[in-house]
Amino acid sequence: MSQVLATYNIKGGVGKTSAAVNLAYLAARDGYRTLLWDLDPQGASTYLFRVRPKIPGGGRRLVRRKTDITELIKGTDHERLDLLPADFSYRHMDLALDSFKRPTSRLARVLAPIRDDYDYVFLDCPPSISLVSESVFEAADALLVPIIPATLSARTFEQLLERVDGPRVFGFFSMVDIRKRLHRDLIARFRLAHPAAMLGAAIPTSEEVELMGEERTAVAEIAPGCPAALAYETLWLDLRRRLEGPQATLTTLREPQ
Amino acid sequence: MTEFLPPDEMTLDGAGDALRSGVATGAEETRETDRTFYDTFDGLLHAERLELVHESGRLALVETDSSRERAGLVTSPPTGPLLAVELPAGPLREELEAVCGVRALLPLVHVHSRVRTLRVLGDEQKTVARMSLEEPKVISDSSSETLLRPRVRIVAVRGYEAEFDRLRRRLVSELGFKPADQPLVDEAVRAAGELPGGTPSKIKVSLAYNQRADEAAVHVLRRLLDVIEASIDGTVADIDTEFLHDFRVSIRRSRAVQRELKKVFPSAALERFREEFRWLQRATGDARDLDVYVLEFEDYRAMVPDAMASELDPLLTVLRDHRAAAHREVGRVLRSYRTSRLLADWRSFLDRLVSLPADDRPDATRPIGEVAGQRIRKVYGRMIKMGGAIDESSEPEVYHELRKKGKELRYLLELFGAALYPDDVVKPMVKALKALQDVLGQHQDREVQVATLRSLRDEVARLPGGAAAVMAMGVLVERLGEDERAARQAFAERFEAFASNSQRKLVKDTFG
Repeated sequence: MSQVLATYNIKGGVGKTSAAVNLAYLAARDGYRTLLWDLDPQGASTYLFRVRPKIPGGGRRLVRRKTDITELIKGTDHERLDLLPADFSYRHMDLALDSFKRPTSRLARVLAPIRDDYDYVFLDCPPSISLVSESVFEAADALLVPIIPATLSARTFEQLLERVDGPRVFGFFSMVDIRKRLHRDLIARFRLAHPAAMLGAAIPTSEEVELMGEERTAVAEIAPGCPAALAYETLWLDLRRRLEGPQATLTTLREPQ
Repeated sequence: MTEFLPPDEMTLDGAGDALRSGVATGAEETRETDRTFYDTFDGLLHAERLELVHESGRLALVETDSSRERAGLVTSPPTGPLLAVELPAGPLREELEAVCGVRALLPLVHVHSRVRTLRVLGDEQKTVARMSLEEPKVISDSSSETLLRPRVRIVAVRGYEAEFDRLRRRLVSELGFKPADQPLVDEAVRAAGELPGGTPSKIKVSLAYNQRADEAAVHVLRRLLDVIEASIDGTVADIDTEFLHDFRVSIRRSRAVQRELKKVFPSAALERFREEFRWLQRATGDARDLDVYVLEFEDYRAMVPDAMASELDPLLTVLRDHRAAAHREVGRVLRSYRTSRLLADWRSFLDRLVSLPADDRPDATRPIGEVAGQRIRKVYGRMIKMGGAIDESSEPEVYHELRKKGKELRYLLELFGAALYPDDVVKPMVKALKALQDVLGQHQDREVQVATLRSLRDEVARLPGGAAAVMAMGVLVERLGEDERAARQAFAERFEAFASNSQRKLVKDTFG
């Protein structure tokens, strides 16, 4: 059964897509079967993976489960990393969801048939608070929230922590300029206040992240040793460590070692 | 099939050039990769056309024909024998448990390869398929290397299957590549000097009705001896419980042949072997019983109320301790001079048997069809008598004796009946017999388990948490007792089917 991880923030332009694409890339590289669902009608991650932002039948048929989700998935340039592409019709997904009795459970039901095919499913969410995000909260095992180091953004994250009671919520700082004292101070304060929720990596503002649009691949492929690539590696390691809980074991012949 | 061999006359570079011709490809990437393949001793995965392979940090169960991964797990390569139950919960454990059960997965062969990968590009430079040219070699435990034939693999990218089909057609019809005649793992196993498919524990011998009975017996007994000998190392190393089980089943089957076909053997020589085989059977009995207790421990837990389930842990500790001690003893027995001498003597006895004078072996030259048929009929008749005298108040020993006879009949049917008599008679008969044996087995197992639990009470009580464990064991004994009674109740119906008039007539007509 896969773990569903959603990169989410109410604001746009904070590094959701970069995080989703880079983490999905690292998961696949480390041997995990990985799917990224680009839920954002702008289709940025779909573009980065060189796939056409189009699904036959559109978002409405998909959430109604009239189209077979397995038919829509596309392999990417990277082994083990698949994409469920964006579609412009996703901009009306709220309306499509609203027609159901329990709209918030919809995305989880759409994903159900493929949960065993992947180890990780990343949801790249559009920026908003809407039925789509409510539905994402129900489908996800964890939310990954990029936070830009500004007081207001940090407050919004705290509100999210209070409000969301389904998935685990992890925050990480994004678009950080470590030369700025304000950034450094805010990061230190915030990590101290939320040690369980804050992941121990800060993604710097960097040329390599911006280059993703040009090169159409993950930072780790563009410049594996650059600070942004290392920060995503750290983020991924920390996330994995926190997601892998203790395993229940059954009776074996010998005492477990 | 997604793997191909380049035409014989083509060089490796030529193959690379051929692959690149006529399609848009990205830059070639070269990497070195190590794979370890795993299977059970008896090749259960191979029989299902599955491969368990560890590569680049992932342990994956792959379908041989389609190369599709059924389930996988990111993990370091297993360092010792791996039981499916030891894996974390998830699809890989479920799939492996379904195919391998309690058999351990062992490393089969290590393959190191240099792999050149080419991405086939479509619109927007998007990868639409992958091709790789692989130069594999087998690395043995002593680090010696054996080169295997280079092979080409094409891998579909999800959602671009048409491109994959086009590539495959091009490889075969235009470039003259041949679909690989065997999977890489089989080629590697052969190169390592082994046979793909492992060592089966089920024996299949072809016999003819008019064959001399002693010759047929030798045929069967030799194959059983092969299984006995092949099971020893795994039993001593305690790799999984099936080595000892296979060992004991083959000993028991050999004993059944010794007893049921005794007139094909010279009586004095046979006597010694029968005694020694009985000794081996007895000396390994405790270890097998304890294996079963530990294997079935989760079933025990399920028999007590949820709140008590974890309170049984001290019992598990004691059972594991006893099991470890019993296995040490089995190791000692199997490594003893007495055992190796016995098995060597038995083999040379079998080698000589047919050439020995037939004076005191009245059945030796009779047709095996006749001798086996007669025995099947006799044992069946004896079971009818024994079973007919059983009712719900009978002593447990009576059920046990009937079960022992039943095993004898089953072995006769499986070892000789199946090869010599029509399937439509033997198969239903084995089925009815199995159904009967199941309830007799349940009865006997529960009886013995209750006695064992009682005998372990004091030892469990002395452990931390022992008092609660003993209470839970009391509930368990109660439940096992209910099971035993249920088996007694089910017996009558099963026996009726086994002993029906039509079944008796069939046995008389077929084996008479």
